[in-house]
Amino acid sequence: MNPSFSRRRVLQLGALTASLPALSSVLAACGGGGGSGSGAVKFSGWDYESALVQQNVDRFTQLNPDVPVEYTPITSAQYVQKTVAEFTAGDGPDALYVYDDSLAGWVAAEYLQPLDGLPGVDEVYAGIYPSNAEAMTVDGKRYGLPYYTDSQCLIYNEAVLAKAGISAPPTTLDELEQQSLRIKEAGILEFPIGLTAQLQDTWWAWVWGLVFASGGDMFDAAGNPVMDGIDPTARDVFAWLQRAATVSRVIDPAVLQLLPVPLDDAMKNERYAFTVGARYALRDYNDPSRSKTAGNLKIAYIPSLDGNVVGTVSNTRMYALSKDTEVKDQAFRLLTYLGGFTDGQPYTAKYWFQKKGLGFPFRALEQDQEVQTTLATFADPTIYSGLASLARPRTAIKQPWYSEYENEQQKTVQQLLSDQTSPDDAVKALSGTVTSLKQKYS
Amino acid sequence: MTITAVDTEKPRADAAPRPRRGLGDTARAYLLNAPAMIVIGLLVAYPIAYSFWLSLHRYNLKLPALERFVWFQNYVSLISDPTFLSSLRVTVAFVVVVLVLTVVLGTALALVLNETFLGRGVLRSLVLLPWAMPGVVNGLMWRTIFDAKTGALNGLLLQLGLIDSYQAWLTSPSGAFFITAFAQVWNTLPFTVIILLAGLSTIPGEQYDAAKVDRAGVLQRFTQVTLPWLLHPLLIVLILETMNAFRAFDTIYVLTGGGPGDATNVIAVLNVRTVLTYTDFGLGSAYSWVITIVTLVISIGYISTLYQRGRIDV
Repeated sequence: MNPSFSRRRVLQLGALTASLPALSSVLAACGGGGGSGSGAVKFSGWDYESALVQQNVDRFTQLNPDVPVEYTPITSAQYVQKTVAEFTAGDGPDALYVYDDSLAGWVAAEYLQPLDGLPGVDEVYAGIYPSNAEAMTVDGKRYGLPYYTDSQCLIYNEAVLAKAGISAPPTTLDELEQQSLRIKEAGILEFPIGLTAQLQDTWWAWVWGLVFASGGDMFDAAGNPVMDGIDPTARDVFAWLQRAATVSRVIDPAVLQLLPVPLDDAMKNERYAFTVGARYALRDYNDPSRSKTAGNLKIAYIPSLDGNVVGTVSNTRMYALSKDTEVKDQAFRLLTYLGGFTDGQPYTAKYWFQKKGLGFPFRALEQDQEVQTTLATFADPTIYSGLASLARPRTAIKQPWYSEYENEQQKTVQQLLSDQTSPDDAVKALSGTVTSLKQKYS
Repeated sequence: MTITAVDTEKPRADAAPRPRRGLGDTARAYLLNAPAMIVIGLLVAYPIAYSFWLSLHRYNLKLPALERFVWFQNYVSLISDPTFLSSLRVTVAFVVVVLVLTVVLGTALALVLNETFLGRGVLRSLVLLPWAMPGVVNGLMWRTIFDAKTGALNGLLLQLGLIDSYQAWLTSPSGAFFITAFAQVWNTLPFTVIILLAGLSTIPGEQYDAAKVDRAGVLQRFTQVTLPWLLHPLLIVLILETMNAFRAFDTIYVLTGGGPGDATNVIAVLNVRTVLTYTDFGLGSAYSWVITIVTLVISIGYISTLYQRGRIDV
């Protein structure tokens, strides 16, 4: 046998090949936690419109050729789990998207670092809506720059209402029920109200929106439950939900298996007259190429128990900085570009609004002519900005037990909608859930 | 006359070969199996042991500072955890329903397919299709069929005049529960049929002939001949289907997400949510071990109860 391919030589080559993965791992580890090893900023986000994200990142790298960026879109449904897994493994990104209800947990887990004192942060926080600033602050420290925000509103089909002889959207929950009954009794729609009420790992914004719209809350500022006595608003809202679902039957019983995308399709096909959803949905709903009823879907303040316009709920999606990043300066420059000002303008926030209608967190865009012109094509600008000003974040989202509470709240509301519990028992059960969760997490 | 010299170099014919010094057979066997054992140890044993170790800790990624060893507190807390107890009740009910349906339908189908008739081969092939379907796809398929707005079932029943409007089958607790159970049965039934068919094929035809000579009826032949021979295959089916039902997740998650309320919140759904959504690895690991222990206990019960009864004197 040729000595170059002797048995010994073959075994040596095999061993070398087998060791390559381990060697690669060691070299990668030497690159440091959070870093890609190449000096590039490792940037992760859920995969919403990842092509547009890449396009914007490419623009950043063209403007900043000394800051290479490696962007990784992660499937939305697994974003939280995968990101946690990466941080746990010591291989988290340098800059990343963060949900508002993940922020406090990730801060506690020491995945993120505060941005206080970094250039431009104060200017950003001075220029955004208070609800967004609040959502990105944990224990007095600022951890995020805003990606997008939105607030819940009533979305109604003006054409469907007109068929039933209704000229204006409802301002109270009772009026919402009455208008829905008129539509139902006119034979236009069997179930005029649609809501996303299938159990999800994300939040049911509409529940919080309904409670906030009536001036109530589930918790006080310290995270203690108030829904079972101190503040009866949630119980009263729950009572309305149950009545609308099981007595007047204007809420579609199928909502218990309704997810966001099917709801969008239903709204665009005139299967519902009302829903409670995010403002930016109107961009899609009123797109003639996608919607059968484009131009007819309008926004309004969420009806309240007494008809007064009090508030709604907001959510904030943000960019944050990894605690252990080894390219902090470069990563922060990316964050500033994405969540801050470029040449005095919130470039990326405007970019997302123009591209997809995403809600903008910067007040200045209320005065931007291009933004307002685009906005007027799918939503009432006055109501749009009014909602943003009134909106506030969920009270308990910074509690480590929030995700478990949200799941229990969803199950409880499902039980209300399917007549398995009563409003009093529901709020009592939720309060008990909070008590046990507090104990569990203490 | 020539004299031939004796070859004194030749070895003695009766000399036994001297044993070679080295490893014994046992040691050699372990040495040769060492790579496989190492792989199994790293990829199977270590994760199992680690999960048990985690289950003895309070370990939530949201609160890494509070991580600590808590012995069996995660297990003890389950006794008074209403969420777990509710999930356990749902799971037990689910397992019972799935097992009953699986065994009854599987036995019936196996008996039919064991008979000789035209097209049997084709049917035997077709019956395997559900088993080839991933659980997620199975869930999506049945979700589509039962959809409240566009479901095929609603369309069919409406056309037949059996209902006057589309029904939201998955939105009632009982409806959601039985539909998910049905979907689970449909997905795993082929496996049961295969096992039972294999068992049926081992039954000697002479026993049926003898039973017929003794004027035994169909039911009597089933209980006296078929069923005793099927006890061992049924044991396998019961063990494996109990495990499958107890660990059912993907079909249920896709169909209902565990709802409405807690109606389909089986322990596997609770487990996944605890680990991945709540990031409570300690409690989640305890849930996993509870599933393991329960299925193990049930399996031992099956074996101890049915194995002896399945012994056939032939």
